[in-house]
Amino acid sequence: MTITADDQLSATFAALADPTRRAILTRLAAGEATVNELAAPFSLTQQAISKHIKVLESAGLISRMRVAQARPCRIEAVQFDNVAEWIDRHRQMWQERYDRLDAHLAELQSAPMPKESQ
Amino acid sequence: MTQPGELTYRRIHRASRELLFDCMTMPEHLTKFWGPDGTSTPINGITVDLRPGGAFETAMVNDADGSRYTMRAVYIEVRRPEKLAWTESAVEGGMTTTITFEDLGDGRTQVVTHQTNVPPIMANPDARKGFETSLRRFAEYVVQLRSA
Repeated sequence: MTITADDQLSATFAALADPTRRAILTRLAAGEATVNELAAPFSLTQQAISKHIKVLESAGLISRMRVAQARPCRIEAVQFDNVAEWIDRHRQMWQERYDRLDAHLAELQSAPMPKESQ
Repeated sequence: MTQPGELTYRRIHRASRELLFDCMTMPEHLTKFWGPDGTSTPINGITVDLRPGGAFETAMVNDADGSRYTMRAVYIEVRRPEKLAWTESAVEGGMTTTITFEDLGDGRTQVVTHQTNVPPIMANPDARKGFETSLRRFAEYVVQLRSA
């Protein structure tokens, strides 16, 4: 993984730290939405919502379409894949390591004394 | 509580926590299981200076092409048999691994491995406040998003 990819991932983790931003992502998972539509369920100004959207956008989690004047937002699946990949990679490493540890323990425990029959 | 950018892995082993702690800290044990599948970790490539501030290094050799990768870490907490922690400063902006060994009282031990790769931006308490979603739940959420 390059430094740049790490920095992007850091920005992504930071963007995901906020409950409002996660709520925005959950809404966008159901489909594209404009800033007005996204602001509706929150007791926040449109300006505050726009700020959250900017953070999500620079974290690569969403993009804004250029087609309409309202510039609807949509989820960027690729960045979610990067986060999931980080999680999977590390979990896999530990899982395999502890599998091998179990095999090692079984060897240790079978060697010194005979196993009791159950 | 696990947060995005963190990983918690729980595993129950049929062994005492003393033995498990020793497995994670003695080269003669580590050499048997440490490296990823397809690699080996020769005992002479393992450094364990078991004290806070002491070095923990493992040189892993790829079985296929002989290439080496060395993990370089420094212990930050050493408390046999309940807790072990080290930090790798060169990895992804600084990675800390904490392992706790919990005696289940029936000859089994739960080993909880917690790995953090907290980006520098997270040193800001405001940024950190919102971190409440567990990584496992988050992974499920990602899957949901992907299938939506």
